[in-house]
Amino acid sequence: MTRDWWKHLILILGVIIVIAPFYMMVSYSFKSPGEIDRGEGGFFGRQEMMVDERCVKLRDPSREDIAAAALRFPDTTDGNIRNALVAEAEADCAVRPVVFNYTKAFSEAPLLRYLLNGVIVTASIFLIQVVVALPAAYALAKLKFWGRDAVFALVLFCLLIPVHAIALPLYIMLAKLGLTNTYAALVVPWTISVFGIFLMRQFFMTVPDDLIDAARMDGMGEFAIVWRVMLPTAIPALLAFAIFSIVAHWNDYFWPRIVVTGNRDLFTPPLGLREFKGDGDGSYFGPMMATATVIVTPLIVAFLLAQKRFIEGITLNGMK
Amino acid sequence: MAELSIENIAKRFGETEVLKGISIDISDGEFVSLVGPSGCGKSTLLRIIAGLEEQSSGDIRISGQSVAGQRAADRNLSMVFQSYALYPHLSVGENIAVPLKMRRMTGLQRLPLLGNIMPGAREARGTIEQDVSHAAQILEIGHLLDRKPGQLSGGQRQRVALGRALVRNPAAFLLDEPLSNLDAKLRVQTRAEIAQLHRQLDATFIYVTHDQVEAMTMSDRIAVMMGGRILQCAAPDVVYEDPDRIEVAEFIGSPKINILPVEVSGEGRLSLLDQPLNLAVPGANRGVASLGLRPEALRLSGEGAPIHGHVVHSENLGSELYVQVEVTGLEEQVTLRTMPDRRSALTLGTPVALDFDAAKALVFDADGARLRKLRNLSATTSEVA
Repeated sequence: MTRDWWKHLILILGVIIVIAPFYMMVSYSFKSPGEIDRGEGGFFGRQEMMVDERCVKLRDPSREDIAAAALRFPDTTDGNIRNALVAEAEADCAVRPVVFNYTKAFSEAPLLRYLLNGVIVTASIFLIQVVVALPAAYALAKLKFWGRDAVFALVLFCLLIPVHAIALPLYIMLAKLGLTNTYAALVVPWTISVFGIFLMRQFFMTVPDDLIDAARMDGMGEFAIVWRVMLPTAIPALLAFAIFSIVAHWNDYFWPRIVVTGNRDLFTPPLGLREFKGDGDGSYFGPMMATATVIVTPLIVAFLLAQKRFIEGITLNGMK
Repeated sequence: MAELSIENIAKRFGETEVLKGISIDISDGEFVSLVGPSGCGKSTLLRIIAGLEEQSSGDIRISGQSVAGQRAADRNLSMVFQSYALYPHLSVGENIAVPLKMRRMTGLQRLPLLGNIMPGAREARGTIEQDVSHAAQILEIGHLLDRKPGQLSGGQRQRVALGRALVRNPAAFLLDEPLSNLDAKLRVQTRAEIAQLHRQLDATFIYVTHDQVEAMTMSDRIAVMMGGRILQCAAPDVVYEDPDRIEVAEFIGSPKINILPVEVSGEGRLSLLDQPLNLAVPGANRGVASLGLRPEALRLSGEGAPIHGHVVHSENLGSELYVQVEVTGLEEQVTLRTMPDRRSALTLGTPVALDFDAAKALVFDADGARLRKLRNLSATTSEVA
């Protein structure tokens, strides 16, 4: 302990740097706009009742409202009735900041729809990636064919190509095919994951050849071997890949922003954050951070559940 | 059950020739071991028989039918691997059932969940379950059927692998060093069990091993392979007592045979360390040759014995005593087998004189081929004396 204190110090500093944005995000999602502006209230804020000004504005009494309310407030002027109605509205619109932020997150934009879109897009991408990557990785790891090393070199080469470099040609292709503003535009460009092929190939290299030969003796064809033998033994590696793939596409802002223009029904969760951006007053940080919290929670929960097997997959020693 | 015939199989990996024309006929119900040092091509030959590897030339017939170009699955052979190769995600019972499921059920019937409602699936599953429990009964692993391979010991895994092989009554069993991952004690026990299983099933077994003891103890015939060829294929006692080549004599037998350099003089008489022996090889060319003497062919003797030396090491196995003797004039030590009660007389450094049984002497020419025409001269000399 005494000799390792500096290691722990460095690790703790690292943890603080990583955790700080999350801390801010969650904390802001609890606070009222005033507390956010003034930077007070600790982690949870004071949770004093606040008035939702937009709600009050919506209930701004009209002539008819005042006339209708005249019966309730006898013997007074219209000005007083108006003031009384505004006071009533303010009382009705008073909420705790945390409730305000989270209800705003779901009501201001169809966040549930965005979450559903996120699930549809990331799940489709991952499933198709697996369907492509497993047979490809099996062939690259275990089958002998002419040009195998060249193909694998190409796979490695593709790992070096940044997404942003090919975004424009991809967009033009999709636009020419008339696929912009569809789920296909969100899914198709990501269905072949060279990283997935590479990761699964490295894992399959560790699977003993005898196991594959045994499957062949038992009467399995090559595809049966991929799905019935390789897939079940590769679960840890697949889980690791799932986390990389799902996190990347769930959080992706860049690509959906490019191919989804206008049609809010196709928005993915990160695009939902735009609903709260820059209205000049900056007072929507609370709901915005609440949205962000809602978006990252599924990923964090999934990671915590799969943590142990995820690390097994990264270290690539599924079988001895 | 079937006979196998392997005709002139050759295999090349690029430039290297791994198998150089192997031919062997294996009759129905026979237990044949392919034995040889690592890299001799024995595993490659087994994989070619299995259909996991394709031969460069030659043919294989199972029950008279050529299997050239047939997939491994269609050859009706089963194989036990050195690493057992059990499916780690399936239970023991499911592991044993796999070859039956792949053969007896259609793709639709094998689907998870949906397969259960396909017509005929239930009956197929029923018979498979019966066959699995029958196989488990033969191997006494009935109580393990629900466990995963990861929860089993090496010996148990080995039995499961055997179970998966025998459950579908194959034409022949191919075993690729199935015992080499077991500890020594279990290996001896499993050796006997496999031999017993062979008698019980009366099936054709082809067994690959680098361990000559396994080959000697279990087989009907041993094929000794070296450098991509079969040097000799015969019953274990023939291979031991009557080897065709010096490599075979050296490989088979533990402790190793003693090889002494001898000189062939005129009339074929042999001499060891410039001393003439009472042994002649009529018709042999003059020059160097090798005299092979098994440890049990040597015996302690007095003056006038051809071999002199002193004890450098001895190993008492309880039932017998092996003594290492450093022979004056020879680089290699000579091993002698004797009775343990001689131990006290054979302490380290004791000078010994060794004689040998001429009837058990094996003589090889300079190329390593056996010279069988031996003449024992001691009978005549004793007459003169």
